[in-house]
Amino acid sequence: MTLQALTLAILVLPAAGSVGLGLGALRVPRRLVQVVGPGTVWVAFLCSLVLFVDQLTNGGRSHDFTYWTWLSSGDLQVPVDLFVDRLSVFMCLIVTGVGGLIVTYSNGYMEHETDGSYARFFCYMDLFITSMLLLVLAGNLVLLIVGWAGVGLSSYLLIGFFYWRWSAVVAARKAFVMNVIGDVGMILGTFVLFAAYHSVTYAGIFAALPKTDSPLLELAAFLLLVGAVAKSAQLPLHTWLPDAMEGPTPVSALIHAATMVTAGVYLVGRLHPLYDLAWIAHGAVALIGTMTALFAASIAIVQTDIKRVLAYSTMSQIGYMFLAVGVGAYAAGFFHLMAHAFFKALLFLGAGNVIHSMNDEQDMRRYGGLWGQMRGTSICFLIGSLSLAGIIPFVGFWSKEVVLGDVFSKPDAGGFPQAMWAIGFATAILTGFYTGRMWWMAFSGGPSPERPVARPHEAQAVMMVPVVVLAVLSTVGGFVQINAGFHPGWKLIEDWLAPTFGPLPWQARDLEYIPTAATLLLAGLAFWPLADAFYRRRIWSVWSERLPFLQRLLERKYYADELYDRLFVRPMDAAAEAGDQLLEAPVIDAAPAGVGATARGGAGILSLAENGLFRTYALVMLAAALVGLVIVFAVRG
Amino acid sequence: MPDYGQIAIGGGTLSSSWFLGLAAILFTLGAIGVLIRRNPLVILVCIELMLNAANLTLITFSRQLQDLDGQLFALMAMTVAAAEAVVGLAILVDISRVRELEDVDELDELKG
Amino acid sequence: MLAVAVFWVMAVLAVLGGLGVIVSRQPIRSILSLVVVMLALSVLFLLLSAQFVFAVQVIVYAGAVMVLFLFVVALLGPVRERAGGRLRFQWWLGSLVGVVFGGFIYSMLQGAHFRPPQRTDLSVFGTVQEIGLGIFTRFLYPFELTSVLLLVAAVGAIYLSRGGRAGAGRGAAAADGGQARREEEPHA
Repeated sequence: MTLQALTLAILVLPAAGSVGLGLGALRVPRRLVQVVGPGTVWVAFLCSLVLFVDQLTNGGRSHDFTYWTWLSSGDLQVPVDLFVDRLSVFMCLIVTGVGGLIVTYSNGYMEHETDGSYARFFCYMDLFITSMLLLVLAGNLVLLIVGWAGVGLSSYLLIGFFYWRWSAVVAARKAFVMNVIGDVGMILGTFVLFAAYHSVTYAGIFAALPKTDSPLLELAAFLLLVGAVAKSAQLPLHTWLPDAMEGPTPVSALIHAATMVTAGVYLVGRLHPLYDLAWIAHGAVALIGTMTALFAASIAIVQTDIKRVLAYSTMSQIGYMFLAVGVGAYAAGFFHLMAHAFFKALLFLGAGNVIHSMNDEQDMRRYGGLWGQMRGTSICFLIGSLSLAGIIPFVGFWSKEVVLGDVFSKPDAGGFPQAMWAIGFATAILTGFYTGRMWWMAFSGGPSPERPVARPHEAQAVMMVPVVVLAVLSTVGGFVQINAGFHPGWKLIEDWLAPTFGPLPWQARDLEYIPTAATLLLAGLAFWPLADAFYRRRIWSVWSERLPFLQRLLERKYYADELYDRLFVRPMDAAAEAGDQLLEAPVIDAAPAGVGATARGGAGILSLAENGLFRTYALVMLAAALVGLVIVFAVRG
Repeated sequence: MPDYGQIAIGGGTLSSSWFLGLAAILFTLGAIGVLIRRNPLVILVCIELMLNAANLTLITFSRQLQDLDGQLFALMAMTVAAAEAVVGLAILVDISRVRELEDVDELDELKG
Repeated sequence: MLAVAVFWVMAVLAVLGGLGVIVSRQPIRSILSLVVVMLALSVLFLLLSAQFVFAVQVIVYAGAVMVLFLFVVALLGPVRERAGGRLRFQWWLGSLVGVVFGGFIYSMLQGAHFRPPQRTDLSVFGTVQEIGLGIFTRFLYPFELTSVLLLVAAVGAIYLSRGGRAGAGRGAAAADGGQARREEEPHA
């Protein structure tokens, strides 16, 4: 089997699984669904491994496989081509590997659904996997957008999976609308690039890029950035992500933590030649990322729903990734992407275990004391939390340090990266704090009196194994890239991605020991004793009583939802209402109605000639005879 | 050119135009009557009036042209008028058995 | 002179009778007015050398057809036409069309040139012999046809006015397009 066919198989298998499950939802037995759903993803993972080995052995040479030409119209040539290089294989492995674990986990988590719903879930999950793989493997912008839209669709379908719930439907719609805003930006950016360089393929565009920046490049870069911001839930298109937690927990794990929301990072990375030139847009990437990181971390402090804490945490961590790729430290950004995929999926699945055993209770204040009763999950969750906070030796520490270190050491006259670093540093402390809060509230101490289930049981095997696997990955995964400041020779991720990005353009300075240690220490302090003091032992009075204004501000997410409602939703509703009254009823409805009325009126007038009355006929006859005579005599003269 | 419209009768001459004018008046009266009256019987009577006026015209021209065909034609017309009056009255009688015949406007079942 | 006077008297009578026909509220009066018109016209026919037609007009038209009308009026009973009616503009439109028609005929009569007569001998014009000669030579075909026509009319009238359920039912059924119940053979 050639590599070309294998690459196509990676896409086709989950697609076939999705279609098969979708068409046969009510006829396929549950056992088969449980095999086909995750099975196709695992087979795709194996195919990705083959590609990985190929990339490993051939020195990072990329392949551009063209299968057929989709559109061919003058200058516009859109082939169906898949681009296999180190970056896309990296993403494929993450998507299929972590995705496979999560889909396997869902075998157990969704067991309470009816057979039809069960099959529907895996159909949508496979659809998502297919779209995400298409997105990362695409060799041209048009296919990328197809995959982009596909993951948006899958996200909508999966957020609104429990479609009988009004809140889920609203959340799904909100997510979709914001994604569409991003899609528009993407498409417009593609248009700009095509108009300038007459090509939509990566190879074509990169070959045609000029050597210097131009307003056109900046425009294209900003438009594409809109798409990235929408998909990755960064400011200002972020409000859909917390609401997206209405979907089932595996969905939150896969789509809204590990993979889909990282598509924006992938986009910037894949188009890095463009962003390396368009430095204003590039700086905007970093700025947006940093601001979002701080913003989200501050909101996460007051959240009471465990999934929402994790959602804001995701938003914040992706901000880190944006920061990294925004200053040019691409390898660091993708390392953090991988690490985040591991520990965030771990955290979500662990939370899923808890939610599943607590009868779908998600409010952390009603948990408490799970350490004693769900030991396995608690240990794994702790590993995930420490990783998120950035504590050694877990993967989160290594990846966050690479990001912050590379950002800090970037030479720049204005000090922009260092300012970003400072904000990132503050965010790291906040991250430790809210992570610790989450841990102490949910897992330690005594059981809350409002607990729905007195004795929650540990999760079943099919749900526990993926969690354990992710915990192991979170523990050992970090050692593939040790912070450049510590040990210069161990940079596997950076080396792996070098054929795509090139090595880091600047040298990391030795001074990094200090920031690193400071970060670690403060984050650790924030996590352990500080959060413990606040939440477990309650030494200081709860600060929500002391600073009610701040509490409200954070609880209301800085009033972002209300702002958007005022700015966009209500005017749109008013416009639609006005359109309905002014345009729909009188004009559009009136047109066919008018045709009918005209026909009726005309018929009414014509039918007067046939009123059945003798006198009318006589009159008409006489008048006609008169007219005829007049004409005859006028003609004859 | 001599006026051939003059008819010499007895001691005087009459103009054909007078007879024709009279016939026109009678015909007009009959036509108006057909259009205005609503009693079916009266309508038939007005039709007879029109036929009579036409007969007068025929006889006048027959005399003016001194061609007998006009009179013969008038005889035929008279016969036809009689036959038509008979059938019309028979229909009226038939209808009057079923419904009250006072307004021809009520007989509008053939509308549409 | 006498002829002129006779003409004018009869003409006035005819017009008055015509007005009476269209103006009378009761049908019986319309019929009687028509009789007056017919009699006046018959005198005018006589004036115009149509002796036979004069006689036929009085005997057949005024004497038989009008009597038939009178019998029908007697059969139907007194019916007064009530005021109003469904077509509001019919009165105006009807009068208008009628008057225009009359005016048109009048204008046609202006400046009319009469053709010269075919023959000048009037000694046997309009006599029974001449009429008979004409009927049985030149007008034989129309004459025979009118005979058949009279027969058809008589048969039709008898059939239509047969009375009772059968006659009325068949008449009404035939009127609405042949949806009759053919229970019994029609015996004509």
